Amino acid sequence: MTLATTRWVGSLTLMAALGMPGVAFAEYPEQPITYTIPFDPGGESDVTARFQEPHLEEILGVDVNVNHRPGGGGAVGWSEFQNNAEPTGYEMIGVNIPHIIAQPIMREDAGYETDNWKIVTFFHTTPNALIVPKDSQFETLDELVQYAKENPQAVTLGGSGTFSANHLGALRLEREADIDVTYIPFTGTGPLPAAIQGGHVSGIFNYSMLGVQMQDNARVLAVASEERVPALPDVPTFKELGYDIVGGAYRGVAVPKGTPDEIVNTLEEAFAETNERIAEKQEPLGFVMTDITDGEVDEVIQQLKTAYQPILEEAKANQ
Amino acid sequence: MTLRLNTDFAAGLFGLLFAAILWFPREGMGRLSIIFPRAILVIMVALSLALIVKAFIKPAARQVEIEGDPRRLVIMIVVLFAWWYAIGVLGFLVATAIVFFGLTWYLAHIEGPVPVRRLAQWAPIVAVLIGAFYLAFTEVLSVRLPSGIWS
Amino acid sequence: MDMLLEALFSILTLKGLVTILCGVTAGLFIGALPGLTATMALAVLLPFTFTMSPLQGLIALGAVYMGAIYGGAFTAILINTPGTPSSIATTFDGYPMARQGRAYEALAAATIASVVGGIIGVTFLLLLAPPLARLAVVFGPAEMFWVALLGLTLVASLSSGSLLKGLLGGCIGMLLSTVGVSPIGGETRFIFGIPALQGGIELIVALIGLFVIPELISMAAQGRGALPESGKLQGGAGSAIMRMGRHIFGKPVNLIRSCIIGQLIAIIPGAGGNVTSLVAYNEARRFSKDPSSFGKGNVDGVIASESSNNVMVAGSMVPLLTLGIPGAPPDAIILGVLLMHGLRPGLDLFTETGVLTNGFILSMGFASMFLLPVGLLGGRLIHRVVVKTPFYFLLPSIAMVTILGTYALRNSMTDVFIMLLLGSVGYFLRLIGIQAAPIVLGMILGVIAEKGYVQTMLTAVVDPVPWLRLFANPLSIVLACLVALSVATTLLPGWLERSGRMAKVDPDEEKPS
Repeated sequence: MTLATTRWVGSLTLMAALGMPGVAFAEYPEQPITYTIPFDPGGESDVTARFQEPHLEEILGVDVNVNHRPGGGGAVGWSEFQNNAEPTGYEMIGVNIPHIIAQPIMREDAGYETDNWKIVTFFHTTPNALIVPKDSQFETLDELVQYAKENPQAVTLGGSGTFSANHLGALRLEREADIDVTYIPFTGTGPLPAAIQGGHVSGIFNYSMLGVQMQDNARVLAVASEERVPALPDVPTFKELGYDIVGGAYRGVAVPKGTPDEIVNTLEEAFAETNERIAEKQEPLGFVMTDITDGEVDEVIQQLKTAYQPILEEAKANQ
Repeated sequence: MTLRLNTDFAAGLFGLLFAAILWFPREGMGRLSIIFPRAILVIMVALSLALIVKAFIKPAARQVEIEGDPRRLVIMIVVLFAWWYAIGVLGFLVATAIVFFGLTWYLAHIEGPVPVRRLAQWAPIVAVLIGAFYLAFTEVLSVRLPSGIWS
Repeated sequence: MDMLLEALFSILTLKGLVTILCGVTAGLFIGALPGLTATMALAVLLPFTFTMSPLQGLIALGAVYMGAIYGGAFTAILINTPGTPSSIATTFDGYPMARQGRAYEALAAATIASVVGGIIGVTFLLLLAPPLARLAVVFGPAEMFWVALLGLTLVASLSSGSLLKGLLGGCIGMLLSTVGVSPIGGETRFIFGIPALQGGIELIVALIGLFVIPELISMAAQGRGALPESGKLQGGAGSAIMRMGRHIFGKPVNLIRSCIIGQLIAIIPGAGGNVTSLVAYNEARRFSKDPSSFGKGNVDGVIASESSNNVMVAGSMVPLLTLGIPGAPPDAIILGVLLMHGLRPGLDLFTETGVLTNGFILSMGFASMFLLPVGLLGGRLIHRVVVKTPFYFLLPSIAMVTILGTYALRNSMTDVFIMLLLGSVGYFLRLIGIQAAPIVLGMILGVIAEKGYVQTMLTAVVDPVPWLRLFANPLSIVLACLVALSVATTLLPGWLERSGRMAKVDPDEEKPS
């Protein structure tokens, strides 16, 4: 039994598994839509999809079935989608930046390409936030930067994953402030609260949500958004403090390349409407709602690609 | 059926083989990724060599017992893989209906010949069993099962 | 106290009790199906809780969680298949008991142990949450490394027969766990050019493959069902329950020890339920007067495993509710629900919204009590189905459920293939003395050990001697000593025997079974 056989047999089955009848889009939508989340249940992407599900169903008038295809930090689901999904508008998948930018650069064969689909919309972002323990010696970002300058590598910053939004944020801070810190990857957001409350790291680079969630037990030094995050009104942005760091995770949804424009527009409107309805629940948690569509999508991707590519390639060379 | 086999030697050999498969593709990985698997691989090779040495000095069992009919054993393994393959081609429902029914017939055969009338009686039972699980997974748990060429 | 009473009244409504009953029953059946885990049960339920009030939603989730963890014991005992990873240790003695015709005894013992475990976990949570929570955060990367090593010493007791082969199995498991994306380096490892392997080998996929498939293959070869026709139960079901009750409460040391172990491990973030039952099982065996009877149908093994994993359900809520640290995977979903309702983990949860929180905790206590009738009735039903169904129906049915469950885990036919491959190879490995349990243990702990070690080394990058970081805290030194002690107590008896009384049967001597 060679693994090569598994490969083609595997892809054959998957092709079969994901195939859906191709129907004319006269009155799209008229049958259930599959909404794949390439991550485990319980994560931010999944929870968001669960929020959206009932509203999408109401607006589109058909069932929207959320299912999961986790693995490889999203790569397994994405590579299957790009290889097998049909452009009928009845299959869509959640996509995340920077994952879809970083993985194809960093991996020899991630199994998918950054651009090989039509991204309908990015519906929200979760900006990076720099969080330190409540009893930390660092009261402000400047103190941390100062200390890191005097003690190279001594500041340890935890975060979720390698070459993730958090990691890239930490790398950009190193460049912008000209310091050398040690980034410690953890698997997912789950272990981070313990790492910070137990003092296992000097601080963490994670999303604004965790900053909101840990308000009582930690201090948020800065957030990496253009404007202050509504749920954290007292926390300055990196920009205000003089560091040009804006970034975090963008979450959105994509359909296969070649999906008719009418369908993409219908979905765009449905997501925009849904976003408005769930904003009052998501904003207090630290999400920043967005409505990035069409040309803006490519702009965002291009802009971040140029920002991340040199950092990633340098990191790859150093490993 | 009893096979003559030095189990220590077999286990050691398997360990070495397994280590060899993973030893070679380790090139091109960064330090952080390779440090742990490499340590385990070294330990594993040491354990395998120890087992092989033990196989000659103080072997444990020199034979293994396969309970039951070895031919049925092989057929069962083949059927399982065939089932997996068939699901990809024919979709879950059709593949399972065929394999399930065939397997039931084959296994019932062990106890003696199976008249056609009994086979006919089983058909609805098998259909209900498969149908119930199919519906439970697709409707209640909303799992989309492979549909094969029927899509 | 007032708050507790108020909370009690808030759940003692018809709606509340019905929710608990339905939740426990649904969780039980999902947990009993191999491949469908407690995490998945909670995820499926999640959208329904949106329409409920916060309390009712949490009650439903808690009940499903409790039921699912317990449900894993059914299949563990009846067909040697851990329905959820937390019931791996239940198979060690549960299935041998079933093969001896004592399946219902094992089920009754598992049920009583689960009920007691659940209630004790709730009690710990109500009374000791804040002090226990402080313990949770002291486990940093170095400590986790030692915890994983401590867990790996279990290999010695899980490898019936040769220690060398057990260790080899552990190594195989650890290497299997490294397939996919490396947790620290972020690169893909051992994927042989197959994108689908970036997802790695899921623990549950390996678990199902290694436990179920060899059993199915040998059932087919021997032309038998999972369980022998046991004839009449000795004095009927009622007497079996009474007998087990007397056994458990007559000598409660095992039960108490297992519950304490369950609680301690539950608060270590990242170790979670997969490990609790294994550790409790190991300790039950270590302290038993007759350790050699374990693995051959000793009911104490079932009791240790099932009581400890049900303590874990409420136990892992300690770091979750006080600090927002999910201890086990299903907790992440509960955390999501709390946040969605605007409830931030922390001490406020016990004061400002104390009625809600205490109601949730108490409802888990009720859920565990409901396990008794639901479990004993459901257990009898499932037991009868497994025993009465002719093997030529049973075998294809188990195979079908196994394939479905494995597929549903990640919607992946590749996983089904991996499951079958591991299972078929696992059958032959079992023949030559490499058992499934050490392999699975290696898979669970390999990930924890690797992360702990590499993170520690990263943190210590400025130190002159980085690996000294592994002994930098008092706790890590204590854990390291425990590892040494555990190795010593396992190896010493065999060594003494060999050097002192060579004439005695060599413990390495094994008989193929």
